[in-house]
Amino acid sequence: MKPFLFLAAALVVLAGCKRQPSVTPVATATNQTYAVRGVVQAIASDLTKATIHHQAISGYMMEMTMDFPLQNTNELRGISPGDEITFTLVVGENDDWIRNIRRVGHVAEAMTNSGSMFHSMIPELKPGDRLPDYELLGEDGKRIHFSDFHGRALAFTFFFTRCPLPDYCPRMNKNFAETQKLLATNATTNWQLLCISFDPDFDQPEMLRSYATFYRGNTADRWRFAAAATNVLAELAPRLDLMIMHEGASISHNLRTVVLDPNGIIFRQFDGNDWKPQQLADAVLQAAHLSVP
Amino acid sequence: MPARGPVKKSRQGDDEKLFLVIVLALALVAGIGSWFAAAALSRHDQTPGILPDKERTLGEFGLTDEAGRTVTRAEFGGKILVVSFLFTSCSLTCPEVTKHMAEIQGLTASNADVRLISLTVDPRTDTPSVLAKWGARFGADTNQWHFLTGPKPVLYGLIGASFLAQDNGDPFNSMPGNFTGTERIAVVDQRGRTRVYFDGLRSDTPAAVVAEIKRLRREP
Repeated sequence: MKPFLFLAAALVVLAGCKRQPSVTPVATATNQTYAVRGVVQAIASDLTKATIHHQAISGYMMEMTMDFPLQNTNELRGISPGDEITFTLVVGENDDWIRNIRRVGHVAEAMTNSGSMFHSMIPELKPGDRLPDYELLGEDGKRIHFSDFHGRALAFTFFFTRCPLPDYCPRMNKNFAETQKLLATNATTNWQLLCISFDPDFDQPEMLRSYATFYRGNTADRWRFAAAATNVLAELAPRLDLMIMHEGASISHNLRTVVLDPNGIIFRQFDGNDWKPQQLADAVLQAAHLSVP
Repeated sequence: MPARGPVKKSRQGDDEKLFLVIVLALALVAGIGSWFAAAALSRHDQTPGILPDKERTLGEFGLTDEAGRTVTRAEFGGKILVVSFLFTSCSLTCPEVTKHMAEIQGLTASNADVRLISLTVDPRTDTPSVLAKWGARFGADTNQWHFLTGPKPVLYGLIGASFLAQDNGDPFNSMPGNFTGTERIAVVDQRGRTRVYFDGLRSDTPAAVVAEIKRLRREP
């Protein structure tokens, strides 16, 4: 009976893994700018962003409350929650920010309930942001942390062992195997690879060990496998824009690969499966050469 | 013998009449029964429309379609919209809902007053070219059916305000964004009001959407 169950599970999971379409970035010639009016709800302590309840932005966005980042943090000096402001929203190819902040008034009630809320309770991280530390369960059954790898450039990606089709999780692990080979020939030695399963119930240490051995062999010092608990994923996934959706016995997910510098700061992110091992190895080496804490 | 003939014949005739009556009665019973059964079944089979949790209208947006073209609310003025939600990495729910959207497109192909919109919840992965490939996989006619991507706040703001509620449930049991009912297909009327949703996983939803479109056209 057991082999049939396994076969059935494999078939279901087979349906869950699919070819990831290649991702081609779309070039936008110039930044779009919008004149916006709104009321400040909150300001980050480091002045890098403000939560603003803004009025409808004609042709772009309806009235809502959301976080806006700033490039020039001086712009928020003298501004406090409840201030009514006008500002320019700049929408670039990969990010957006606000500038030209002018205080035009103050309203007593900062929070209004009209309009919808897009509150990034857990904000998505960008290159230059520090990844908070998280605990994972390693293939050896021991708890590991991202901070264990500080001092090394760390490249990590996500997968689950039941995902068998070639262009998905296996491609990530094959790319990591190639990356490891490329890095091993280099004089730089402060680097580390890590593959993280988002299927912690199934991917127990024993399962991870046998899977890891297939792709990596037995030498685990430079390339580790681990699983993230669901409560860790609930925080880690939105920070990295990793999307996971359980569909019956299968898991639908996008692909996110991240390189941290030796200080645990995000150096580069690779979306999808269209990147090459050489690109990842190059990014790891560049990150490894950044200052060690 | 000749005397018995007619008697027998008459008895035979009675038997035939009785037989005919029984057959007719049975047919009547069966007919009525099957009519009731069909009525009951059709009532049971009728795709239930799901009403919005609150008044929802199509908000302002500036998004990018599968060809990289900027698309705003203005170009959908006065149209009936059929709206679905997806991310292309999703392997079971989204292909099924998209298949039903393709059926709806087939059923409304000549209707200039109907537009189909599919909104991605994974814009970093689902760039215009990725969405173009996804649409082609389902035979989408992109003159009528628009696959929209853009900045996550714009997409999530539009979905959250105009279509779906967000909850704090298990983030990994629904599509990204914590929206509830991402498998639904929404119908927006000519005045931009979200009127009703149908379960995008049901095979009878395309017919129900078309029926709803016809109903909306008859509205004053």
